[in-house]
Amino acid sequence: MALLEVQNLTKTFGGLRANNNISFSVERHELIGLIGPNGAGKTTLFNCISGHYPPTSGKISFDGKDITGLKAHDVSRQGVARTFQVYVASGDLSVGENVMVGCFMHTHSRNKAKARAEEIMKDLGLHTFADYLVGELPVAAQKRVTMATALASDPKLLLLDEVAAGLNPSEIEEMMTHIKHVHEDLGVTVMVIEHVMELVMRVSQRVIVLDYGKKIADGDPETIAKDQRVIQAYLGERYVREHAEELT
Amino acid sequence: MVVAGAVFFFFLIFPFFPLSSFAMATMIQFFMFSIYGMGWNTIGGYGGQVDLGKAQYVGIGAYTTGVMLIHWDVPFWASMPVGMAIAVMWSFIIGYPLFRLKGHYFAIATIATSLVLKDLFTVWPFVGAARGLEISPIQFTPPDFLHLIFKEDIYYYYVILGFFFTGIVYMNWFRKSRLGYQLRCIKDNEDVARSLGINVHWAKIKTYAIATAFVSMVGSFHVCYIKVIEPVDIMSLDLSILIALMAMLGGAGSLWGPIIGAAVLIPFKSYLKEWLGAAAGLAGIDLILYSVIIMLVSAFEPRGIWGIVEKARRRKRD
Amino acid sequence: MDILFGSIVAGVLLGMVIALVALGLTIIFGVMDIVNFAHGEFLMVGMYAGLLSAKATGVDPLLTLPVAAVVGFLLGALCYVGFIKFLLRGPMVAQLLGTFGLMLFLRNLALLIFGSSDRTVHHGIIVGKSFDIGMGIIVPATKLAAAGLSVIAFAAVWLLMNRTKIGKALTATALNAQAARYMGIPTEKMNTLAWGIGGASVTVAGALIVNFWAVNPFMGLLFTMIAFAVVALGGFGSVPGAFFAGLVVGLIMEIPGFWDFFTYTFDWQWMADVPMTSLKYMWIYVAYFVIMVVRPRGLFGWKQ
Repeated sequence: MALLEVQNLTKTFGGLRANNNISFSVERHELIGLIGPNGAGKTTLFNCISGHYPPTSGKISFDGKDITGLKAHDVSRQGVARTFQVYVASGDLSVGENVMVGCFMHTHSRNKAKARAEEIMKDLGLHTFADYLVGELPVAAQKRVTMATALASDPKLLLLDEVAAGLNPSEIEEMMTHIKHVHEDLGVTVMVIEHVMELVMRVSQRVIVLDYGKKIADGDPETIAKDQRVIQAYLGERYVREHAEELT
Repeated sequence: MVVAGAVFFFFLIFPFFPLSSFAMATMIQFFMFSIYGMGWNTIGGYGGQVDLGKAQYVGIGAYTTGVMLIHWDVPFWASMPVGMAIAVMWSFIIGYPLFRLKGHYFAIATIATSLVLKDLFTVWPFVGAARGLEISPIQFTPPDFLHLIFKEDIYYYYVILGFFFTGIVYMNWFRKSRLGYQLRCIKDNEDVARSLGINVHWAKIKTYAIATAFVSMVGSFHVCYIKVIEPVDIMSLDLSILIALMAMLGGAGSLWGPIIGAAVLIPFKSYLKEWLGAAAGLAGIDLILYSVIIMLVSAFEPRGIWGIVEKARRRKRD
Repeated sequence: MDILFGSIVAGVLLGMVIALVALGLTIIFGVMDIVNFAHGEFLMVGMYAGLLSAKATGVDPLLTLPVAAVVGFLLGALCYVGFIKFLLRGPMVAQLLGTFGLMLFLRNLALLIFGSSDRTVHHGIIVGKSFDIGMGIIVPATKLAAAGLSVIAFAAVWLLMNRTKIGKALTATALNAQAARYMGIPTEKMNTLAWGIGGASVTVAGALIVNFWAVNPFMGLLFTMIAFAVVALGGFGSVPGAFFAGLVVGLIMEIPGFWDFFTYTFDWQWMADVPMTSLKYMWIYVAYFVIMVVRPRGLFGWKQ
């Protein structure tokens, strides 16, 4: 039984169909990449899965349970965690405190939460930043904080939303190690939205491609990279026509 | 920590200094408003939802204790928890729909509920309608610890100091508690909070209930201390605003903020009134000055005094 | 029966004036998302302005509207430029408390200058006169004139917002300040203008109201809450919404009249014992609460 099953998911906002009849499944311990041009509906898809948006139609099952339409806090208690692209650090919580909030999902004890938070921070190389405000950190570290916070809630499925955006090449390498660590050593099933191609192609076992709200491809990275429809989505029809020979 | 200890020692021995009764009364007011502010701070500071209707709970606490005392001779220590219970119940009833709102809509709605309650109390004969309640000390023989009726302020001083201390201990625990962390996460970013399993709506309602309990407790004290209450005073918008303002001035969202705010504003208000208000025709100037301060603080240092302190601290660390 | 119709007529007439009171609030909110707690105090200023200019010039109070309008425009614009502008930079707590400070400031300034007693208009062409419009309903001429002039003022503002270039610029800023700026519309000037127009409409309403409602420095809060209820019902930012909502709220303010009607009709003693007149403002607060919980967007609102 797949860990996550999305069936005919559609999400409309007024006249806009952000997700259009999307279906796919994610098996336990997979690492799936989710790509597509800007506005393809990737974050919307995450929002539907995590319960932040109620789907307009379709069905989402997680670990055998139907979670369609469940509120976000209930979905996360089922074992789905995610990072957010825009993370507003209003200056109230420090890095350590942020991670602790995640830990508090499973415990009421402050000491236990603190201990677990320290473990997670050490694991992701954030230990030295524990008392700083998130906003004071360099971008790469900020992204890791969002990952740590999500991991603190002990999820079965982790949704990472553009954690490599704005990072330089060496930081991207580092982020890849962390993602691999989470996936392989901690055994978490991971789904990654990315625009940084080299990261997502190298790290994913399978890649799903969205364009204009529809799923246009689903397969291993090599095949996807050569898929006409995918190239068309990113580079446009005209480019594909004009460079038809090179691309085959 | 050392500073806190020294200050607290000062509070303990304060009544033994040779001071005017005015100074004593001002100190008592300071403690009362500190506790009001601490309560407000839970939902307004840590929670980020500006509540401008706290006065209704002051009223519930005060009236419950007042009515139970006058009609049935109930001791303060029994009527105060009852007042808190009623207040908290009411806070749950309006909290459930109330917390669907945010920002100014929420603030205005809190004002609306407070005014509704005030109007109801103004026409309800059982609580004395517009005339309110009056406790005549001759009914009791002070010092009466059971009913909290005393002749000298010093007794009231130590009672409220006790509440003050309890309040601080609780607040210190609260901000490090699970709910405290969750609340601050909600204030930062509600979506993130939800993704961490936090039921945002319910967390806010719980916090609101805590704030209510604090405020109602002091309301009960108020009626025993001042011995006269009227709806137009005790449930007024002005009181609600004063509470919110003190917490904000001192620094909303911090432990010491509301206390600092009260420490600055209460003496300021009291002494200003003394010096200026007395002169005929100058009534209202104290409030004008006071309102200008509100405007200046809001426009230029919204994080309050403690915010300035924190900024300095961080700069030192880097 | 005439109680019922009397109340309805009174409610509608009052409602038209209330709509004008709320108009300023909704315009300001539409353009820049700030809620002015001192709105009722602006109204109060308008009432004093109308009162004083009538006394000073000996002219009928209804003709003092231009004075009130100018006073209101300046008051609004000055408040923005001298104070509100700075508030906008800060967090919402500061904004709320800041305009509240303004409210206290204006209220106490008025107290200082005018004293605390009620004042009302005593002279004038139409003061004290009334019309009998049939069915035994008597309408004071002041209320009728106020309602009529409110509608005219309302229409004037609506025309301004929708048919003039400057009005359209304001609406554009309200819909999307950034986009408007890219098109060359200066946001700061628009904000100042919004406060000016907002201030002017409410002071004109004040100058109308003072003909049948006594003014004292403390009445601001009630009208601020009334204005909020209207704007909530009509939809924050919606001009036509303010009009219809104003009528509804005007009718709500006549609840004691309706209550009397039902008391007579059903002849239940308990109804007569309820002091509905003292509670009549309470319904406005209740209305605000219910609207915000049930339909926060209001009737015509496009901003949440």
